[in-house]
This record gives sequence, structure tokens and C-alpha cells, in this order.
Amino acid sequence: MNMKIRLLILLAFSVVYGESQAFCGFYVAKAGAELFNNQSQVIFVRDGNRSVITMNNDFKGNVKEFAMVVPVPTVLKRNQIRVADAGLFGKLDAYSGPRLVEYYDPNPCQIVYNRPTSDALRAVPELYVVEDDAEMVEEEYHVVIEATYAVGEYDILILSATESNGLKRWLTDNGYSIPAKAEKVLEPYIKSNLKFFVVKVNAEAHQLQGYQSLRPLQIDFESDKFMLPIRLGMANSAGEQDMIVYALTRNGRVETANYRTLEIPSNKKIPTFVQEKFGQFYQDLFQKSHEKMGKNSVFVEYAWTVTPTWSGVKCDPCVGNPPILVDLTQSGVWWLNEPNKDVFFTRLHVRYADEKFPQDLELMVTPNKTHFQGRYILTHPATGDLSCAAGQTYQTELNNRRIDELGNLASLTGWNVAKYSKYVTEGSGWIDERKNEIPVVVPTSEPPSNGPNNLIWIPLLTLGFAFILLGQFYLNIRRLAARNHTGVAG
Amino acid sequence: MLSNHLPFGEIGYVILMTQLNSVLKPLKILKDPRWFQIIFLSGFLTFGLMELGWKAEWMRYGAIVVSAIITQTIWVVIERQSFDGLKSAMITALGLCLLLKSDLLWVNVLASVLAISLKFLVRYKGKHVFNPANAGIILTILITRHAWISPGQWGSSLVLLFFFGAAGLMVLFRVSRLETGLAFFITYFMLAYGYHVAYLGWTMDVVIHKITNGSLLLFSFFMITDPRTIPNDKVTRLIWAVVIAGFSFWLETYFKVRGAPLWVLFFTAPITLILDKVRGGHAFQWLPQPPASITHKNIL
Repeated sequence: MNMKIRLLILLAFSVVYGESQAFCGFYVAKAGAELFNNQSQVIFVRDGNRSVITMNNDFKGNVKEFAMVVPVPTVLKRNQIRVADAGLFGKLDAYSGPRLVEYYDPNPCQIVYNRPTSDALRAVPELYVVEDDAEMVEEEYHVVIEATYAVGEYDILILSATESNGLKRWLTDNGYSIPAKAEKVLEPYIKSNLKFFVVKVNAEAHQLQGYQSLRPLQIDFESDKFMLPIRLGMANSAGEQDMIVYALTRNGRVETANYRTLEIPSNKKIPTFVQEKFGQFYQDLFQKSHEKMGKNSVFVEYAWTVTPTWSGVKCDPCVGNPPILVDLTQSGVWWLNEPNKDVFFTRLHVRYADEKFPQDLELMVTPNKTHFQGRYILTHPATGDLSCAAGQTYQTELNNRRIDELGNLASLTGWNVAKYSKYVTEGSGWIDERKNEIPVVVPTSEPPSNGPNNLIWIPLLTLGFAFILLGQFYLNIRRLAARNHTGVAG
Repeated sequence: MLSNHLPFGEIGYVILMTQLNSVLKPLKILKDPRWFQIIFLSGFLTFGLMELGWKAEWMRYGAIVVSAIITQTIWVVIERQSFDGLKSAMITALGLCLLLKSDLLWVNVLASVLAISLKFLVRYKGKHVFNPANAGIILTILITRHAWISPGQWGSSLVLLFFFGAAGLMVLFRVSRLETGLAFFITYFMLAYGYHVAYLGWTMDVVIHKITNGSLLLFSFFMITDPRTIPNDKVTRLIWAVVIAGFSFWLETYFKVRGAPLWVLFFTAPITLILDKVRGGHAFQWLPQPPASITHKNIL
């Protein structure tokens, strides 16, 4: 009786990235397609009060089972809803993903003018996967269907409701099953005067389009609300979910107004063996930073000027091609024909869970145009004859650098680097008589974590102070009482 | 006698101040509550850098502090005032380091110079009209296109409430402006509760998350309570704090203004002059200490 409908609520889409993506340079290694589970991607174009949001839709199941509910601030008109090019997200992801950069040490025993330039880049773009099944709840209206549209392969309804019960009943009666937890989130949204953008796939239209997968949906509206409603998506999933926001603005970086926005640790030298497991490396690095920062922060993974007419370097080095005019137009950037055609790109990555993110993400545009990228550096040792004096010094330095690299690796990812102790001397097989003189200190394991638990010193310190105060208070009161009693006071 | 000299409501304050004085008696230097402010504000900055993952911008901090001190010194020399005001300049500079953001160095210097200069330029009967750090921030945002505030930089946590609260209490007791900070904070809390929980139907976490936002706490315990720029009369101050809280909440909720309290404080600052005229009250001075009758010697 009940048609099986998967209700995917905003930011809990099913996303499957099966294949590697193109980028300039070549692959060092393939990061597993299992990098981030439960992940969704959004392109958010914002300037003034206008927003264009593109929601990635890499749903791989039976399209008849696809449905999605997105809270939106206004009743959207037909021309405010579009389908975007399917390749858009891949391009932006490849361009802005964390990058592994490779450098080669020059051989100090060779003549300097022949120094090889050493910025060959090898990078691994991020690959993500998610499989999502919404929980199904059945039940039996008080809603207004503000508009119905057919856009590409989608059938779209804009609903407004006056109470959450009615909305819930309408959704269920029309074949959308919504998770029990979603109901209590619907109420505040209705009262905040949000409308509901309800999407289903029209199977016939989908076949006619001839596309294999579903294309991203793009909505374009005017509203002072600059936010991403993550709370509804949380009703869908118990654990943590990842979201990547590609924000495009005229002024500068986007940050969250109600959560910390921090740059992901970057520009660190790491051991060369990370090359084979860069995917794992970044995944662990992200998790470590996420935990260290109290699991309630948003991370900047990339920030750069991408104005098409701008002559500067758009990435250093590039992992994927920088977005060109077409990509930006398709993303919804509308000011490219205006005199001020600046476009600034921010990639935000947030891992959120119910208890750590009680509010929706409130965003803001800042005038901050500082460039940033998640960049990790491999440095290959020099090869060839290193028997000259400079070569010997180089090797000592190399060993020390490699110790630092292991230390970086441990502090970035929390990996136990003790098992990689061989790495330190691996690159310096040419040290002869001095081999034993080099003190090699390998970091034994993870350095002491300074996670949020260390915050304990704050209350302890304050409590200590309060204790001294109270003690003094007690003593003085006693003294005061004694003096008053004996009539000495005053 | 104690009871002869003091209104009932201030007994608690005096006793607590006494406690502080007796704890810190050996540290004569700490008699001036501004030292506390300097210590706490530096502590917050250190905390942000070490625990909250802020990017250390030493050049920026350096530029702000140095330009604030130089500006203050120049004005002090011109106006032939006491160099004692350098402590205030330091507080203003730390406030700017904590709250203002800019990607250009000169913007930070501008904010610092404006903040300090306004103290000397915009005065009425010897009282500063604008809170220096607040005015520096808002004017720089308005004048340049390269300054902003990050209300989310502290995140939200009960630890912050405890931390800012405890530090705030210690300073505010000494300058007897605790009621202002609390009035602001409690009003904001009640409005947030009323709107988000009672009306919209969010859970309590949302309110806790809102009111434990570090920027809001810093504002309520360290900015709106600046005794030199807020109404002199206690009752007026209470009403004034409540109005600022209400107005900020309204702007934030219905107009999505980020960092609303800072904007509201700036634009309501001139009103304190009218309020002072209507209600009077004694203008605050950092030194000398409170009226002669309530020094700790009377009680001990």
C-alpha cells in the first residue's frame, strides 16, 4: 500500500562519487571513494539580499523513490527554479579540495645553476560517498499549495503551512514519509514563516531528458535570511553528517555567525609515504581538527579570488581548473556583467551532529579576501652522489626534517608514527662514517592532545579563586562580627 | 558606622569589594580595576589563540597596541592630562584585538587611532560619549570596506559563560556596574527564551547556544559596563541596558544584523548625555577610589 519513498531532507542527500575526477597534473594515488560518509554539497551564491543555492543531487537509487523537502524563505516563482549542470559540483570540488604538493630537494653536490625546479604537483581530489535511507513513519491538512512546477526531471511544490501537524499529515498522505524527529523541527520553521520546497522526480520526464543521474536543483530568491537549515537534515540521521559549502560572493569570505569558522591546518610538511594514503590522511586530519575544536566548528578548506577577469594566480598549485565564466554563471553568479565583477570563492566544510549544532548555520559575508588553501607538502630527498661535504650536511638536515615531518603527521592526524621510525634514515643512505653520530629522535606516538578536555583548567582555576574569595569572605565576616560585637567597628 | 554610610543595596558590594581588597592587598598595583581588565582581556586573547584555534595575528595586535599607546600619549601631552589614562588605552587596544577583524594593517591602526582620539575629541562635561573600542570598531567598518566583526569567533559554550562571568564579576564589583551587565544579559536571555522556545518551539539548547556565545558575553560583561561612557545613575543604567538588549535582539532576529549589540551601543551612546541630564548621578572616576566612607578600613 505504502509506496516506498525515500524522503531525503535537505542536506542529507544521497551522494555517490564513484569515479575519480579530472585535474591538471596526474594521480599519485587514488583516494578511496569512502572518504566522507553522509555528506552533502551546496553552492551558495550571495550578494546583498539575493541568494542562489544549488543543491547537489547525486542520488543513485530508483528515481521514483527520491523526494526532498527544503525550507525556503519565500514562495519561489517558476523562473527562480532551475536545474544546473551535473558536472558543476565535480569541478568546484576538484578545484578547491585539499591538495598534496610534491617538491624535490636539489642535490647539494651538483652545481647550483642547474637546480631543478621542484614544484611538480601531484594531488588527490577528495572523493565522497553516501548512501542514505530515511526512516519511514506512517500517519494520515492544513497546508496551502502555493505553486506547482515541472522543472526538468523534477515535480516541485511550494507549500506553506500554519501548523506542523497539518504539514506532516499532508506529506504523509501524499506519499512522503517523514522521520518522527522532523516534526518538532517543522514547527519552528513554519512559525519563522518559511515555505517548504517539496521535490519529487517525474520518472517520464527523467527518461525523456536522457540523463542517467539527477541534476542539481538551483533556487534563486531574495531574502535577508542568509542561512543553511541543517536542523531538518539532522532529523534524518543519528550520527554526524558532513556538508561542503562552496560559497561565491562579491565581497570576500563567508563565515558562520553562530559557530566558529576556522582554517583547517595547512602548509605542513609531511612524510613522503603519505602519498599513497592521502585520502586517509586528510580524513583523519579533518576528524582530528574537528575533535580538537570541540566538534562544533566550521572549517575553511579553501578561499580564493576567482573573478574571471582577474589576472592573478587562482590556485597555488591548482588541483582542478579554476572555475571559468561558464561555471560561475551556472552556479548562479549574476553580477558578472556589472562593473564590479569580483567573485570570491570560499569552501567550508562542516561536520555536524544534533547535540553540537543546536542552531541552523547563520552565515555572513566578510570583506576578508585573504587567500587560503588546505595544502600539504611532500619533499623528496635529493638523489645521486651526496658524498661531498655539503651533501653530508644536507643528509643530517634531511634526517632532522624527516623527524619534523613525522611529528607533523602525528599532530595533524593522530597517527602512531612510531612504526614509521625507519622513514627518518630512509632517505639518507649515503652517510658514511658519520652515520652513527646523528642523533635520531623519533616521536614515539601521538603528542599529548590538547583537545577540549583540557579546558578543564579554566573552571578549576576559577573555582580555586572562588574558594579563596569565599575563605576570605568568611574570615572577614567573622572579624566584622567580632568587632561589631565588641563595639570596635566604625 | 556601616549602616549610616551605606544604602542597603550596596552592603553586598562593599563586603565583596572588601574581600577582593584583602585578597589583593599585597598587590597594591591592582587597586585600580583597570589592571583587572587588562589582565582578563589579555587572558581572553591568550585563551582564543591557544584553545579556540584563532589564527595568531601578531602584527595586527602589535599595530593596534602601539598605535593606541602613541595616540593616547600624544593626546595626553596636548591636553596636559595624566598618563594614568594609558591603562584605558591598553584596555581599548585589547578590546580591538579581540573584536575587530581586518585584512589590512592600516585599518587596524585607523581603528585604534579613532578609538582613542574620540575619547578626547567627543566629550561632554568631561565625560566620554562613545565607548572607545566600540566606536573604533563601528567607525572603521563604516569608513573602510576592510573591517568586520566575527560574532562566531568564540563559538558558544557554558565554559565561556563561566569564564567571562567570573572575570566580569570581579571587575564589575569593583566599579559597581554589575547590575548593568546582568540587566543586559538577563534581558537578552529572556527575549531569546521567549522567542525561540516559547514562541517558535525550539528546544532549550538553542537558547543556551545563543546566550553562551562568547561575543555576547564579552559585550555584556566588558563593553556595555564601561563606567566612563554609560549613564551615571543606577536606575537609568538598568533601563538603558534593558533597552539595548531588546533593540539588539530585535535587530538580530528580524533583520539578521550580525553583531547587533555593538551597533546598538554605538548609536545609543549620545542618548546617555540626555539621560545624565535628566537623572544626574555622579560621574565615574577610575581614581581616586569610591566615596571616602566606603573604603574597607571602615569595616575591617
